[in-house]
Amino acid sequence: MSKIEEVKAKVEAGKSKLVPGLVQEALDEGSAPAEVLQAMVESMGVVGDKFSAGEIFVPEMLIAAKAMSKGVEVLKPLMAGDGSTSLGTCVIGTVAGDLHDIGKNLVSMMIESAGFDMVDLGVDVPADTFVQAIKDNTNVKIVACSGLLTTTMPALKEAVATVKAAFPDIKVIVGGAPVTPEYAAEVGADGYAPDAGSAAVKARELATA
Amino acid sequence: MLTKRQNLMEVIKGGTPDRFVNQYEFMELIMEAPMDLPLAPAPGTRVKNKWGITFDWPADQIGSFPMHDEEHKALKDITDWKNQVKAPSVFYTDEEWAAAEAHAKSVDRNDKFVTAFCAPGIFEMTHHLMSMEDALMALYEEPEAMKELIDYVVEYELAYAAEVIKHIHPDALFHHDDWGSQISSFISPQMFNEFIVPAYKQVYGFWKANGVELIIHHSDSYAANLVPFMIEMGIDIWQGVMTTNNVPELIKKYGEKITFMGDIDSGRVDFPGWTREKIYEDTKKACEECGKLYFIPCLSQGLNISSFPGVYEATSDVIDQLSKEMF
Ligand code: B12
Repeated sequence: MSKIEEVKAKVEAGKSKLVPGLVQEALDEGSAPAEVLQAMVESMGVVGDKFSAGEIFVPEMLIAAKAMSKGVEVLKPLMAGDGSTSLGTCVIGTVAGDLHDIGKNLVSMMIESAGFDMVDLGVDVPADTFVQAIKDNTNVKIVACSGLLTTTMPALKEAVATVKAAFPDIKVIVGGAPVTPEYAAEVGADGYAPDAGSAAVKARELATA
Repeated sequence: MLTKRQNLMEVIKGGTPDRFVNQYEFMELIMEAPMDLPLAPAPGTRVKNKWGITFDWPADQIGSFPMHDEEHKALKDITDWKNQVKAPSVFYTDEEWAAAEAHAKSVDRNDKFVTAFCAPGIFEMTHHLMSMEDALMALYEEPEAMKELIDYVVEYELAYAAEVIKHIHPDALFHHDDWGSQISSFISPQMFNEFIVPAYKQVYGFWKANGVELIIHHSDSYAANLVPFMIEMGIDIWQGVMTTNNVPELIKKYGEKITFMGDIDSGRVDFPGWTREKIYEDTKKACEECGKLYFIPCLSQGLNISSFPGVYEATSDVIDQLSKEMF
């Protein structure tokens, strides 16, 4: 197995202790940093698909994301300023009135693994804060809003409306247990995904469209 | 007419019930029992419970949350759990038990089950202590330490159970532990079998060996993939089963071994603009599809209450109506 294949396999298996060393070996073998990064992004794509299909569960996804981020730490100094590798910035948060963050965090990890720079606003995020974050950060392409409570569905709607009113070109995706594709369409979101793996696919699709 | 208790037994044994069991009616929950609940009591309050877990309920929110920022996280390093986690005492004074004992004594045990309540669950305790992310990753990264921590929580639960049994002699146990999101279990069945099943076999085995006839477990989530383990643990009724589990199919497959209580998703019917019509629609569908045996129509919520006033009562009323229509 080539080093880069090994990196892929170990990211998928969530071996965060082994990945940094393997990434270094792949670089030493002559692979370009962008190539190694791409390999890891692909592994996380596989992880996301397996999660969507119910083949793996939250812990497997968490350790894979952790392994990837350990690998990225090795690459970072080599790729600084190389904006070409990023798909853009994604602002994410759980909407006002809601404190659930497990799903939001997973979505954030997966979108980051797909090649975005993440700005995580945390939980209980008012609609205006999403707009402010777009202003405060460069190259924002996607805003992702999570909501887990039926009582905060109106806050989700407000977040989408507020962002869209201020920045019609920025794509907004929504999700969370009570959110349906119909509801997402009804509130004017550009995308919906039922889980973290497909959220990353959706974000990439919208940013590269 | 059968008593509530008799009717429940007919449902779970596959006999001839004379109506639907109506939500929590068969359980007389002894909530006066002294316990260490995993929540802050009211909007605008913050409490540190006896395990050292801080729960915060911001004034503008609908419920409380365990805090896991660096300052508040009770367990910061799983490998050092022995120093960082200290179980509270399970001993309370006779005075503290008095209200619970009086309540238990007042119950007609032919009509209802005197029911002990336990929350959080063992899995929940691990993530309340250290955050969900840390807890789930530790299952891979520090499995031995996690097993030790789980054993420690089990010891506490057993000691607490002994006290509850001594004071109120419960006939049933209602035990919480959320094991999933609405579409999947948090952990794989294999991992569940390795970490969680042995813990609950001990705990539920102990209650059953001490006079408890009925174990009702709450997990308002998807967990269809865990049902064989629930049976192995000794769970008689899974409460909180959401529609995403395909309850009619579960009943066909496992009904003789375990009863399903739920199939009315709180998320769909319990919100500020709720209506009786909507509740009727979901409840009727549940009752028609699931049938009269091994099924108890119930909101998925983990207590005999609703988030919005009137929803629980309206659901009970609808179930009475459906009993009249269908029996
Ligand atoms: C774990 C949990 C908690 C934990 C949360 C810990 C944390 N740090 O988040 C604790 C115990 C603290 C908690 C507290 C409360 N909870 Co809660 N909780 C849950 C539970 C069991 C699981 C949620 C979860 O983490 N799932 C796991 C993740 C991985 O899944 P997920 O969140 O669905 O996310 C996935 C997808 O939805 C999607 N996704 C998520 N966000 C986004 C965003 C985008 C952009 C996209 C594309 C996709 C996407 O991808 C994710 C990953 O695959 C659910 C029950 C359930 N069955 O869902 C209740 C549930 C959400 N909680 C509920 C309630 C009521 C509360 C409380 C009010 C309880 C109380 N009375 O105190 C408080 C809330 C306080 C507040 N203001 O927010 C209710 C909501 C009911 C309703 N009517 O809406 C639920 C449904 C339980 C129930 N049936 O009653 N809860």
